[in-house]
Amino acid sequence: MKYVVIGASAAGLAAAEQIRKTDSEGEITVLTNEAYYPYSRPSISYYLKDKVAQKDMPLRRKQLFAERRINVVTNSEVTSIDRKEKTVKCKNKKYPYDKLCIATGSKPFVPPMENISGKDNAFTFLDFASAKAIKAAANSNSKAVVIGAGLIGLKAAEGLVKICKSVDVVELAPRVLPSILDDKAAKIVKKHLEENNIKIHLENTVVKVKSKGRKITGVVLGNDKQMPCDLLVIAVGVRPQTELAENAGLETERGIITDCKTMQTSDKDIYAAGDCVVSTDMLDNSKKIIALWPNAVNQGIAAGSQMAGGEEIFTSSYSVNAIDFFGMRICTCGLINAKSDKYSEKISQTENTYKRLIFEGNRLVGFVLINSSENAGIYTSLISNKVDVSTLEGDIMSSPSLFLFNKEVRKSKLTGGVEV
Amino acid sequence: MKKVYAREQYCINCRLCEVYCKTNHSKSKDVVKAYKKESPSPVSRISVYGDSKASVAVNCRHCDDPACVKACIAGAMTKDKKTGIVSVNESKCIGCMTCLAVCPIGCIKISNTAVKCDLCSGEEPACVKNCPNKALVWLEVGGGAK
Repeated sequence: MKYVVIGASAAGLAAAEQIRKTDSEGEITVLTNEAYYPYSRPSISYYLKDKVAQKDMPLRRKQLFAERRINVVTNSEVTSIDRKEKTVKCKNKKYPYDKLCIATGSKPFVPPMENISGKDNAFTFLDFASAKAIKAAANSNSKAVVIGAGLIGLKAAEGLVKICKSVDVVELAPRVLPSILDDKAAKIVKKHLEENNIKIHLENTVVKVKSKGRKITGVVLGNDKQMPCDLLVIAVGVRPQTELAENAGLETERGIITDCKTMQTSDKDIYAAGDCVVSTDMLDNSKKIIALWPNAVNQGIAAGSQMAGGEEIFTSSYSVNAIDFFGMRICTCGLINAKSDKYSEKISQTENTYKRLIFEGNRLVGFVLINSSENAGIYTSLISNKVDVSTLEGDIMSSPSLFLFNKEVRKSKLTGGVEV
Repeated sequence: MKKVYAREQYCINCRLCEVYCKTNHSKSKDVVKAYKKESPSPVSRISVYGDSKASVAVNCRHCDDPACVKACIAGAMTKDKKTGIVSVNESKCIGCMTCLAVCPIGCIKISNTAVKCDLCSGEEPACVKNCPNKALVWLEVGGGAK
């Protein structure tokens, strides 16, 4: 069997490793357009602020790929998939496959802005190469502007504030981290970011850049306000990278459409996993792109297993996010901005902490935790296991522990049913 | 693999497991220094929950298919193939705490990085050694909570 995986981040790596676990003989080729073996994309902001060294970026030791006979080919951008011939094409080389996995992830979305094209000091921030470029460009005199106050934009801002003279963040939405926070939580986070020298401009956007030749010198906001800028980071969001799949005639709708359990696409020999795929949120059955690491890994495992004739399937997709900014811990999960009569909530708040639990009837379906994330995984397990919270013994709003459950459940969680 | 198992019926809520875990993971290996002198303060990887009526010590189950390993966005959390021990590489860990967000039993501690039970790297674990009522035992019993 010949297996080809396109993409070498969370989903692609998980798929390749799962193929090897399931089929010890087959030939596995992982093609990446990047210059690096699989590394941690989320670590790039920590690389920017010198918390993680380049040597600590790889997800696996290089020799592990040789041991597992996974052939990683770097600098190999796939340009097309030929479904009849069952090959994928890189520049001058074709790779035949029996089973193919598309794990191409996301690409940065660059919104229309006047005068933006061809500038040397405008960057996106998604891969290691972009982090290196930003690091090389930033210095103590830099006036950085970041467009987008989502996870990527704010992580870039956090890294840059240590290096640059000033960092301004411009966000179209009325709050920071619009996809993972509610209004109240976002206010707490915004205040914290401002206290750490990041200026935030909400409900605004960059409409035009001012430049001298290829160098940006300033930006003009939607309200005509002008700001000096010599380092622009564009982080308004990402889009699924679906061109290869689309051009090959696979079914797509914003992302690649797959069977939600097996990750098989509309071609029986092609699978897809990770940020390029449309997921079904198990909590409200909505179709969405869940561009999150654990989701990508679990989809990759399912795809890899199925490709090699195994039985692993993908079971639960929901959003779970944990992140920190300047020591403030944010942890959110599930339906955090659900607006309907069928949802209820419980909130407790102090100056620097915030806990909001969202319920649908007797089920927990979401949480937002700021500086109160101790044992948050217990909440996550209540959500993913659809536990009837009326069966719980302890107070769900206090710090969660196994004492939320009755004695028998506690025991089985701790010992796995073994008598000790 | 050999793991630490808690026996709730014997736990007396004394929390000595926490004291000795913290000490064993300190630089000085001295109880008083671990609590009073060291910076950053060492972290106990085991926690007793409950009250005087019912209590139990919780530490990592070193699951067969660990959610924390699959969720780690930095490649810092791994399960050792030979020993089965799930551990954090602290120089790779970025402290995002995604592992904590998915651990179903609540055994990952927050510090500059994620911190968790390392089963004392194969020695008899300090929590077990110092439990006065055998509420913690170190056993090889196949299986384990997933």
